[in-house]
Amino acid sequence: MASPVITERAPEKTPRRDHRSRGLRRGEGVAGWLFVSPVVVILGVFLFLPVLMALWVSVSDWGGRGSPLSPNVNFVGLDNYGELTSGQGLRSRDFGTALRNNAWYVFLVVPLQTALSLFLAVLVSRRMMKARGFFRTAFYFPSVTSSVAITVLWIFLFSAAGPVNALIAAVTGGKGPNWFNDPRGIVHLLFGVFGVDAAPAAISQPGFLGLSGWDWIAGPSVAMSAFIIMAVFTTSGTFMLLFIAALQNVGYELTEAGMMDGASAWQRFWRITLPQLRPTLFTVITLGLIGCWQVFDQIYTGTKGQPGKTTITPAYLSYTSAFSNQDWGIGAAIAFILFLIIIAFTLLQRWLLRERPVSKRRIRAYTPKGARS
Amino acid sequence: MRHSRRLMALGGVGLAATLALAGCGGSGFDDGPAASGGANGTDGGGLTSSDDALTIMIGSSGDAETAAVKEAVAAWSKDSGVDAEVIAATDLTQQLSQGFAGGNPPDLFYLATELLAGYADNGSVIAYGDQLENKGDFYPSLVQNFTYDDKFFCAPKDFSTLQLIINKNLWDKAGLTEADIPTDWDSLAAAAKKLTSGNTTGLVFSGEYQRVGAFMAEAGGRLVSEDGTTAVADSQENADALAYVKEHLADGTFAYAADVGAGWGGEALGKQLGAMTIEGNWITGALGDYPDVDPLVVELPAGPAGKGTLQFTNCWGMAADSPNQEAALSLVEYLTTAEQQLAFSKAFGPMPSVQSAAEQWTTDNPDLEAFLSGADYAQGVPTNDGVSDVFTDFNAQLATLKDGDPATILKSVQSNLEAIVG
Amino acid sequence: MTDSRTLARTKTLTDEPIDRAPQRRRRLTPASRLGQIALYGVLALLALVYIYPFLVQVATSFKSEQEAASNPISLIPQTFTTAAYERLFLNSDFPLWFANSAVVTILVTLGRVFFVSLAGYALARLRFRGRGLIFALVVGVMAVPSVVLLIPRFLVLNQLGMYDSYAGMVLPLLVDAAGVFIMKNFFESIPPSVEEQARIDGAGTFRVFWSVVLPMARPALITIVILSFQGSWNELTHFIVSVQDPGLFTLTRGVASLSSGQLSQGTQYPLKLAAAALMTIPVAVVFFIFQKRIMNTSEGAVKG
Repeated sequence: MASPVITERAPEKTPRRDHRSRGLRRGEGVAGWLFVSPVVVILGVFLFLPVLMALWVSVSDWGGRGSPLSPNVNFVGLDNYGELTSGQGLRSRDFGTALRNNAWYVFLVVPLQTALSLFLAVLVSRRMMKARGFFRTAFYFPSVTSSVAITVLWIFLFSAAGPVNALIAAVTGGKGPNWFNDPRGIVHLLFGVFGVDAAPAAISQPGFLGLSGWDWIAGPSVAMSAFIIMAVFTTSGTFMLLFIAALQNVGYELTEAGMMDGASAWQRFWRITLPQLRPTLFTVITLGLIGCWQVFDQIYTGTKGQPGKTTITPAYLSYTSAFSNQDWGIGAAIAFILFLIIIAFTLLQRWLLRERPVSKRRIRAYTPKGARS
Repeated sequence: MRHSRRLMALGGVGLAATLALAGCGGSGFDDGPAASGGANGTDGGGLTSSDDALTIMIGSSGDAETAAVKEAVAAWSKDSGVDAEVIAATDLTQQLSQGFAGGNPPDLFYLATELLAGYADNGSVIAYGDQLENKGDFYPSLVQNFTYDDKFFCAPKDFSTLQLIINKNLWDKAGLTEADIPTDWDSLAAAAKKLTSGNTTGLVFSGEYQRVGAFMAEAGGRLVSEDGTTAVADSQENADALAYVKEHLADGTFAYAADVGAGWGGEALGKQLGAMTIEGNWITGALGDYPDVDPLVVELPAGPAGKGTLQFTNCWGMAADSPNQEAALSLVEYLTTAEQQLAFSKAFGPMPSVQSAAEQWTTDNPDLEAFLSGADYAQGVPTNDGVSDVFTDFNAQLATLKDGDPATILKSVQSNLEAIVG
Repeated sequence: MTDSRTLARTKTLTDEPIDRAPQRRRRLTPASRLGQIALYGVLALLALVYIYPFLVQVATSFKSEQEAASNPISLIPQTFTTAAYERLFLNSDFPLWFANSAVVTILVTLGRVFFVSLAGYALARLRFRGRGLIFALVVGVMAVPSVVLLIPRFLVLNQLGMYDSYAGMVLPLLVDAAGVFIMKNFFESIPPSVEEQARIDGAGTFRVFWSVVLPMARPALITIVILSFQGSWNELTHFIVSVQDPGLFTLTRGVASLSSGQLSQGTQYPLKLAAAALMTIPVAVVFFIFQKRIMNTSEGAVKG
């Protein structure tokens, strides 16, 4: 059965007709607007308008009672943003902590899930594979579940007396950590193995956003690491599907040419297959970044920022500032700063992965001697 | 022809959109504050009155509490003829916050001491304390806790102190007797050591200021001065208390509830993951789930500065946006009578906030006498605006106490407090 | 978590192997046979890692609380008990949550399929002023991360008086920008000759859409159904900010409150795992039924 392949074709060019066309195209303009109006209204009211309202709240001093549009609410400029980025006070420190937690999360999850999903895709796509469907389903199934259900499962799996610790005890005989209650950063633990137990004087003073350098390099806490594992577990399936589809489109001719030129399997993968996967790689990494910076559901369901504030993320902090502390302006400001961060990261990685023109040196190296001009 | 048709369609869509926004808008927001503007509780009087049903939102400690409150409210409802509904919140602060923002909060709700200042400042609650009939019956220290800006805001609904609860079976099994009941820090450590065996840790409690603060009180330290104007968190006394806790967390005789796999001290005691715990009155209700455990309540040991513990209380907050405050006031008066509070106490433990019930309570609950004795020397938690955030941060740092440095922790608490105290 | 945007780019799950070279009969050398065994071994191990958590979840939901704590790894309960399920159905609001989730999901899925295909068709086929602008807006809206909408959606719902109501839960989810994108792409790939024929026969625009084009769009519609079902069944943040009345809780909100709210007294793992397992079943069923039909929708994005 042919798979329906959809391509982005340009809309059909019919001969230009004047707008007051009769006959076949009668009423098309009105119909067009009517068809599109539910989408426009709902997106406008529930997406566009809220963003504007939040923008207003973030630059106002609304205290959480009554309407934010009432005349008592004043414009305070960038005060909320300033307070968050000042490095002074509890709010700024909390924001810095949230950023640090989420940055480490992104830093670990995105490469891991990209690599794992690519690995799974390659394995599952090999020729002469039996039970391909079964494996594909097995790897994709976690992505179908809701984050709430998976978090509940994970809290059990990684509890102090849960299966993971039991497995660790069975395999290594040692005692696993009390995962979701352990606030120690894993980088600190790593330093501890080498004897560095406390902050070196140079980086122990409060610095950027109220956190010391030592705090910034603490790495994700053990609790956050459990969440990182969870993220890789649940999203690798989706991205695996993307890679499978992309691999199907990689023509065999180039690989064959590579085989004839004597390239090893690894070289064939690295230099022939992978570059053709560049667009998918870009998509996967972008989606990964956008998703990882918005971690909320898992924290809300699972640890609520504990232990020791090491699982607080900016999204969760935005929520608690507004809904628990009634600091609506701060909450909205955090959300917008997060928005900017996501955009910045997306642009950055787009730039990093751009198609670069082949350098002159390379061209010279690969041109046969006689043909060089 | 075409043009006008299209323009009409465009206009139609635009009109629909605008109507959708403007038409049903404002119902939630505008009426509330405007209507109760006059009743914004400056000097009592001016309570709103209407036929609306009342909503009461509670942060329940369990089924026993929810059932008891519902029963009491239903009885009042029958008497007074005003409908009332009790809702047990899953996340009280969040739901209150959403209610205030929407102009549609519950009429009455549990209000903790550390949250009063914030709500009072933004006008979400009104001060009705002076209009209570039984105003004079409340303990003065509790009234003090709920007085802000010189206004007595809300009626304390009950109070608890923290004391030491011992699992009698494990105590006896370890060969300990009445003489070994801890009276100072050293004997507490010794008892905890004897009781630590296998899966059971000697003393287990939640790793938060709301429990560890008892040790600080026993050492003679506090977070904020009694008049609430100076932050005194980084005192030597507090450091001593934290050092004592750290020492025994490290040697395994004390433990945080989370570290032994329990949600709180009561669960640890119930599941026998801890032989002793530091908890308040509410533990009596919770231990109903664990019939194997036979609890013994004794006063916390004295520290370097003598006996000390923490005191907790909640009040019945009344929303400024409530349309039927007079009925709410009458309900509060009913719920804070001595008989009603004694009934609550029997159901889920806390002590009545009115002095006239004290004797009866002691007669009814001879096993829980230690809690009431605590009232003589208990320390209340600070009530400054913004202090609950400081608590959250302090608790986050206490999670690292075992490997951390008490002085650093206290220093950061001090700087946080200084930012919010006068 | 997987959201509609991510799944919008999923491709057809056919069984074509990675290469399309003429099938040569390859002799299985001992080396390549060893390679095959290694491959299957690795895959089997990985599959076990992915499946085991769910197996242990179901197993634990049938254990007693003590056994769950003392013997977490085993997949066969020593004493098989349905106590957790009884508590779930008799002592908690689980049936109510399930009903609410079902109502919301059905409404949202029906609504989305209808509105999104309408808009997609209009953007693909009908010419009207401002079409380009609307499309740009739809694409732009896809870029807004959902975290930015947390607080403001709550404020807007309040302003409109829809807070704490089914309308507030359903309406904002009725339209999905990614869905519009998918349908538009799909409609653009259908040859216009069929429509032209219908118009020549005198059908109005809506008639053409409803009776001629829509039936041809079955693969895309099925994709939208799957994505909408999954998206609304698993939605959490919107239900946090749009309702607080426990009578309106959906499964996600309810199970989250079981896990960490004030209703969670103690660590009742069998109960929580049972709830989580039950809430996964409908989505899993939909997934298994339709998985072959998830269509290839992002060719453009991949090559771009």
